[in-house]
Amino acid sequence: MDFILNIGLLHYLILSLLLFLIGLTGVLISRNMLRTVMSMFIMTISVVLNFMVFGHYCDNSMENANMISIFVLTISVVQTIIALVILYKIYQANEYLDAEKIKDKEN
Amino acid sequence: MESNIFYFYSLCVIILGSAAGIILAPRMYISVIALFFLICSSGFLYLSLNAKYMAIFQFILCGIFLCGYVFILLKKINRLNLKLKLVNPIKIIFSSLWVLLFGVLTCLFFNEEFNNSLYSIFNFIIEKSSDTVKFAEHIFPLHLVILLVFVAAIILRIFLSSPVVSQNEEQK
Repeated sequence: MDFILNIGLLHYLILSLLLFLIGLTGVLISRNMLRTVMSMFIMTISVVLNFMVFGHYCDNSMENANMISIFVLTISVVQTIIALVILYKIYQANEYLDAEKIKDKEN
Repeated sequence: MESNIFYFYSLCVIILGSAAGIILAPRMYISVIALFFLICSSGFLYLSLNAKYMAIFQFILCGIFLCGYVFILLKKINRLNLKLKLVNPIKIIFSSLWVLLFGVLTCLFFNEEFNNSLYSIFNFIIEKSSDTVKFAEHIFPLHLVILLVFVAAIILRIFLSSPVVSQNEEQK
């Protein structure tokens, strides 16, 4: 009961782990490439959450955590935008974003 | 203490639910909405960890994401070949000028009546200050501004809904 009521580092870590696993599952099982990009973004959010939690519980100033998180998230956003542009080009060429179909077409 | 627990667990449910929704949603637009919810709720989680700047960054990201989504929606609506009516460009320019004037008036209203409170809000966001900004004090003037925005929107709607040239009529 105490574990449920006293929220601490472990709770946030479990949340982060679950989020990362959901993102990983999305990357592995989804055939739609757009959904794969979104799943990668979920994984990034879980990593950023990890940084924030460790910053909150281990470093009271939070400056390092903020800096690293903003840096990571900015890179992630840029990566997502580039991926979306590539996907848009693929969609223009093929009219679908199914990874299996694109693979078959290449073969 | 109890409110913190409730806040954390409800955010947990929203975050995990929206993350699962992104993968399992039958339609793509539902997963996009789920992603929006995920970014927004993770921003609130950062707020609970006292990470103000990260939360602001996350909310800005949310806004940009929403703008992109609205843009895609507009393109999709355009592709449906709906019989949309064309508005005279002069009217659009006049309406933009009206909105600009309204914006300037609102800023002046804030500046004169409420002791430069807009400056304080921007100061709160930009600088690492813990000065006497209390958002509760700004709620009342914000209500007034929202009311004025609604009035301006109604005036614009009445102004723009006057008889206009249809696209089909033009083609004929």
